[in-house]
Amino acid sequence: MDFSHIPDDAEAMAFRTEVTAFLTEHLTDDIRTQEFTRGVPHHEQFHRALAAKGWVLPDWPLSEGGAGLNPVLCRILADELEAARAPYVTRSTTVMVAEVVRRWGSDDLKAEVLPKVAAGTVRFALGYTEPDGGSDLAAARTRLTRSEHGWTIDGAKMFMTSALDAQFCLLLARSNPTVRKGFTTILAPLDAPGVEIFPLQTLGTEPTNAVFFRGVEVADRYRLGAVDDGWTVVSQPLATEHGDVDEGPGRLEEINAPQGASYVMDMRRLYEHAQRWAAAARPDGTRPIDDLETRLQLGRLATDIEICRNTPGPMARVLASELLIERAAAMLDHVGSRALISYGADGACEYGVFEWSHRFAQATAIYGGTTDVIRNIIAERDLGLPRFARSALMTTEAR
Amino acid sequence: MTARRAAPLVTSPPPLRRNDYSLSEQESSVSGLFGDFFRQECPSERVRAAEPVGFDRALWDRLAEVGAMAMGVPEEHGGDGASAVELVLVAEQAGRYLAPVPLVEVWCAARLLACTRGGTLLKQQLAAVAAGEYRIAAALGGWTPGERQLVPAGAVVQAVAGVLGDDLILLESPNARPHVPNLASTPLAWWSPTDEQVGSRRLDCQDAQPRALAHDATLEWKLLTAAALTGLAAGALELGVEYARLRKAFGSPIGSYQAVSHALVDVAIAAEGARRLTRKAAWFWQHERAGAPSLVVRAFRYAAQAANQAATVGVHVQGGFGVSLEADAQLFFRRAKGWSAIAGRADDDLRYLADLELDGGAEIGQEGTGDGLQPHPG
Repeated sequence: MDFSHIPDDAEAMAFRTEVTAFLTEHLTDDIRTQEFTRGVPHHEQFHRALAAKGWVLPDWPLSEGGAGLNPVLCRILADELEAARAPYVTRSTTVMVAEVVRRWGSDDLKAEVLPKVAAGTVRFALGYTEPDGGSDLAAARTRLTRSEHGWTIDGAKMFMTSALDAQFCLLLARSNPTVRKGFTTILAPLDAPGVEIFPLQTLGTEPTNAVFFRGVEVADRYRLGAVDDGWTVVSQPLATEHGDVDEGPGRLEEINAPQGASYVMDMRRLYEHAQRWAAAARPDGTRPIDDLETRLQLGRLATDIEICRNTPGPMARVLASELLIERAAAMLDHVGSRALISYGADGACEYGVFEWSHRFAQATAIYGGTTDVIRNIIAERDLGLPRFARSALMTTEAR
Repeated sequence: MTARRAAPLVTSPPPLRRNDYSLSEQESSVSGLFGDFFRQECPSERVRAAEPVGFDRALWDRLAEVGAMAMGVPEEHGGDGASAVELVLVAEQAGRYLAPVPLVEVWCAARLLACTRGGTLLKQQLAAVAAGEYRIAAALGGWTPGERQLVPAGAVVQAVAGVLGDDLILLESPNARPHVPNLASTPLAWWSPTDEQVGSRRLDCQDAQPRALAHDATLEWKLLTAAALTGLAAGALELGVEYARLRKAFGSPIGSYQAVSHALVDVAIAAEGARRLTRKAAWFWQHERAGAPSLVVRAFRYAAQAANQAATVGVHVQGGFGVSLEADAQLFFRRAKGWSAIAGRADDDLRYLADLELDGGAEIGQEGTGDGLQPHPG
C-alpha cells in the first residue's frame, strides 16, 4: 500500500503554473456560468485552445498530436481542469472514441481523423442507446446495410449528448439480424445528408439529443473492427464508462472510476458550497456552522466523499451517483427555502448550486448505463450470482 | 432585475497522492496465514459453543502459539511489534470468522501500556501479554469519577487501563469480573475504580499526556474493530450469496431476482469500500499520523454501517431461516452492532469528524499526538 503525497517537483510546478495560467486566460467566468444557465458540454474556443496545447489527448505522443505528458502531469492537468469546472463531456467522449479509432481503425481512417481530433476540429459522440432499448444495448435496432459506396445507416439513437458539437459518433448498429449480437461499429458522420438532430433539454440543464439516420451513406473505411464484431469493439469504451479500469501499483487516481471520480468532484463541490453557506453569518449574527445539526450534516457529506474515494471501479460509479442524489436532496432540506432559488435570481444562495445539484444529480445514475444495469454486472461478475431473470422469450435466446 | 451574475467557486484540486491498495508480500502472507488459521480453527460451531460469554480459551492459547498476541506488543518489550497494517489484516480475518477472542482489546491495551514507564513490572506484564498468559483491555473513553465503565473484553481480562481525571490508571482484579449478557455475546463487564475488589494504580506516562495516550488507544481500537467489522461484512455477504445461489423460489434461484441480487450488490459495495478505507486508515496511522484520526473514525463508522447492512441483508435473504437461531446469519447479525455500538454514540463520532474537518481539530483532536492534528488532506 502507498498513499504518500507526491510533491510537485520543478517540472510539475512549472506545469501546474502553465495550466492555471492557461485556465485564467481561456476559461472565462462566462463559460463557467453557462454550466448553470444552459449547460456546456463543449465550448468551441476553449476546446481549440486546449488542442493547441496538445491537451485534448495529453498522454498521446507529440508525433500523434498529443502532449506526451507522463502520468503525473496528466493527473495534474485533469485535476486542474476538473477543479476549475472546465467543460468536459464532449472532450471525454472524444477521447474515449479516439482510443477506439486508434486501436480498431484502418491506417487511412486514423490518418484522416486523429490529427483533427488532436487539433480540436473533430469531436466524437457515443451512439449506443436507442429509444426502445435504454441501457439494454443489445436491443439496438439501428440497421447497417451494405450499399454500393459502403454502408447505409437507418435508425435512431437516443440521448446522444454532444451530437451538436461532434462531427462523428461511434455508432453501434445491427449488421446481421440473424444473431443477437450481430453488430458492427462505424464512425457515423453527424453532418451528412439524412442525419437529423433534435435537441432535448434535461433536468440537469445539460442538453442532450435524439439523432435520426435515414439512408445515411458512409464509406467502409469508417468501419471499426470486423463486420459483425462491433460488440468486441465497444466493450473497452463501455468498460471505461462503467469505471472498470486496470488497477495497479503506482495509480494516481483518487478513485478508480472515471465516472465515479467526476461525481466525487460534484459532491466535493456541493460540500464546498455547503461549507461556505454554513460559515456565513445570518442576519442575527449566528452562523449555521455553529449548530450541531449543520456540523453533523457537513460531517456526513465529507465522510461520503471519503467513502466514494475508496470504492473501486463500477462499485464507485453506483455509490457516488446515488450518494450525490441523496446528499443533494438532504442539503435542500437542511438549507431550507433559499436553497430553492435559481442561479442569478434574487436571494439565491451559493449561486443556486443546491437546487442545481438536486436536478443535476438525477442523470448521474442513468447515463453510461443505469446503476441498476451496473448492479446486474456486479452481481453476475463479482458475486457469481446467476444471470438475472429475463422474460421467457429472452431466456430462450442465446445472449 | 439586475441580480449580479457571478461564477461559482473555483476550487483547488486535492493534493496529488499515490493510491495503491496492493499488499506487500509480507502483508499478503500475514493475511493468508491468519485466514487459513481462523477458517480451520474457528468454524461456527466453535463460535456458538463460546456463547454467551464469547471467549474460547483454547482458541486463545492456539493464537498465542502462532504468535498473534506478540504481534501487538512492541519489539522493545519482547513482542514482534507488528505494523498497524498487519494488525488490521489479522483483525479482518478474526472478524470474518467471528473469532471469540479479545485480540483487538488486548493489542490496544498492550500498545497503550507500552507507552508508559513501568519498570520491571511493566516488562513482565507485557511479556506475559505476548505469551498469551495475561490479558488486559482498555476502557474506551475512561472513567468519569463515580461512574463505572462497560469494558469490551472486560469479563475475560485481568486488568483494564483507562483515564480517570488527568491520570492514566490500571485496574487489576484477581477474580474475573462478572459477565454482562449482551446482544452480541461478547465478554462485556463493568469495571469501576472504586470497586473494592479491584486494585488500582496510576501509570507513569512520562512526557505524554494521559488523555492523549488514551485517545490514541481508542482510535487504535476503532481502527482494528473497523477491520474486524469489514471481515464480518465479508463473511455475512458470503453466506447470503451462497444461499441466494442455491435457494430456488418461483422456479429460479432467488439470486437471479434483482430485488435479492441488488441488495447483495449494495452490501458488496459497502464491504469493499469499508475494507479499503480501513486499510488506508491503517497506512496513515503507520506513516502519516497527522492525517490518520479522521480516516480512522470514518473507517469505523463506515465499517459499522457496512457490517450491519451485510448482516441485515444476510438475515433477510434467508427469509424465515435467517431469523432462526440455527442459521449462522444470526451470529453475524448480533455481532455487527454488538462490536460497533460498544464504542459509544455514532453521533459523537460524526461530531468529532466535523470538529476535525471544520476547525482543524478542536477538543479531543488537540489532545492527540501533539503534532497538530489536521483533518485528512484532501
